[in-house]
Amino acid sequence: MIGFGASLAYAGFVAMCLAMERHHEQVFRTRAVPPRRRRLLSVLGWLLLVASVLAMVSASGWGLGLVLWAGILTATAIPLSILLTYAPRMALMLAAAPLPAGLALLLSVP
Amino acid sequence: MKEGFRQSMAWLHRWAGLLVGWVLFAVFLTGTAAYLRPEISYWMRPELALSRPGPADAEVAVRAMQAMAPNSPSWFINLPDERDTTLRVFWREPGARGRGFREAVLDPATGRTVEARETLGGEFFYRFHFQLHYVGVLWGRWIVSICAMFMLVAIVSGIITHRRIFADFFTFRPGKGQRSWLDGHNICAVLALPYHLMITYTGLVLFMLMVMPWGIDRAYPGGRAAFNAEAFGSAPPRPRAGNAAPLSPVLPLVQEAERRWGGGRVGRIVVANPGDANATIQLVRADSERISYNPQSLTFDGPTGALIQDSGEGHPVAEVRGWMYGLHIGRFAGPLLRALFILSGLAGTAMVATGCVLWATKTRQQAARQGRVGFGTHLLEHLNVATIAGLPLAMAAFFWANRLLPAGMPQRADWEVHVFFATWGLCLIHPLFRRGRQAWIEQFAIGALAFALLPLLNVLVTQRHLLATLSEGDHVRAGFDLGLLGCALMLGALAWKVARHRPAPASSRVPSSIPRPGRSVEAAR
Repeated sequence: MIGFGASLAYAGFVAMCLAMERHHEQVFRTRAVPPRRRRLLSVLGWLLLVASVLAMVSASGWGLGLVLWAGILTATAIPLSILLTYAPRMALMLAAAPLPAGLALLLSVP
Repeated sequence: MKEGFRQSMAWLHRWAGLLVGWVLFAVFLTGTAAYLRPEISYWMRPELALSRPGPADAEVAVRAMQAMAPNSPSWFINLPDERDTTLRVFWREPGARGRGFREAVLDPATGRTVEARETLGGEFFYRFHFQLHYVGVLWGRWIVSICAMFMLVAIVSGIITHRRIFADFFTFRPGKGQRSWLDGHNICAVLALPYHLMITYTGLVLFMLMVMPWGIDRAYPGGRAAFNAEAFGSAPPRPRAGNAAPLSPVLPLVQEAERRWGGGRVGRIVVANPGDANATIQLVRADSERISYNPQSLTFDGPTGALIQDSGEGHPVAEVRGWMYGLHIGRFAGPLLRALFILSGLAGTAMVATGCVLWATKTRQQAARQGRVGFGTHLLEHLNVATIAGLPLAMAAFFWANRLLPAGMPQRADWEVHVFFATWGLCLIHPLFRRGRQAWIEQFAIGALAFALLPLLNVLVTQRHLLATLSEGDHVRAGFDLGLLGCALMLGALAWKVARHRPAPASSRVPSSIPRPGRSVEAAR
């Protein structure tokens, strides 16, 4: 569950990045982001972050869950900012991580 | 005010950071190391065998103490757990060296003392990060507290100054000189901001009774004991009765405590006046089980084993403090959360380091524009090298001293610390002879080498080298050796990076995307 939450947080950050011109350019080589897509991406980013809080809290309770979540935000955002600079495509691909992580979670529930 | 609000905040941020930056760097780095305090202590005592905590540990320890220190006024028994697998005991002994305490490590199977080399272990980094060394304990704490206040000022003013905090949230642009340093500084600061605020603020809360004692002194003129009893629910000490009475068996009490705490574990046993009719046995819950550091404890009558006091969650205000305390020291954190804390701690260390370097670069550019590089600029650069590159090297030297100083040496533990500071002192002198980049490269490279060779040294001088620990399943020691190699890689990468660096031409100092002169103040922050 914690791994799933971390992958959600990462995916949320990626969505937020893609809504920003500079990072959109890093990944897709074009600076222009259509306004509708921009709005969609930032809403999606926030939703994913909220989902990651919920995952953390359901895994470890409110106290520990929120502390863990704050740590996970740092641990996903710092690698993302480095990947965006040195391996932007990789940064994008890793955003798909919630899929395998969620699948693993589903399979592990008896 | 002639300048804008943001400019004045930038000024505040620069000076708050500069004045205490070097101390903060040391506090951040050693404080991060302190998250691994039990692991470091264990690694630094290679004589200790790997043991697993068992249910009889408490009984064994109490029996050993009865044989070793029957006349001591108090015993403190730390029960082993998964992280700190040693059974450690302390006792007060009138006339002992230092603060009147003696300590020993017991073999959980037999209760006999294990002879281990004398060392402060991880305790050194832990103590250094809030009270420094060589200055008095109180002086050190005051210095660190004041630096922490500057840190809080620097964080808040930094947030205000950082006008593009959301636009530049993920931005790192390498190879652009000062702009890259600023990006790095911002990433380390912003992305770990919850941690930085938490650790600085809670750090201040830990010392609030020292820094701001007036309220309590006024409300409790009789002294701190009354305050402590009311705020933390600690049982008031009972005086010695003077007539002897045997201590009740401790194992049933431990089981009683674990039942009351719903399976919670006892972490520490404090016995006051053992062997006296007024003896008390206090069982304190392990601090790894709750975020709040207000320890839950049960106090029993020594001879009869009857429950005297149950200190629970305490007053809500005390509980808030307990939460902050607990968050700061992070002892509740399991392996994953501890790793996250360490990552954020390293980000904080990097934040302070990049801040110091930025300030030095900026000063040098100003000096170059004026045509002469003054004493102040040299001093800044000099102290940056000695602190940022020198401290990791000194930490490595501390570990080397632990392995190489002879076991029977008098005051061996002190000498390990002396080696640490002597190495750091050498790092302070070294840049006098090797100017500029050369000093950085050499100190980072020597640091990397010193860390990389430690696991090798282990093979030569101890039985607990990587091959042995890996095959024994001694994960703590094996992990620590691998961590040392990780530190070596990090320092090596830094040395390589500095060596490869070609200074950008002066014109590309501030990117042209920031045309307004008003902004250049902020950009150069």
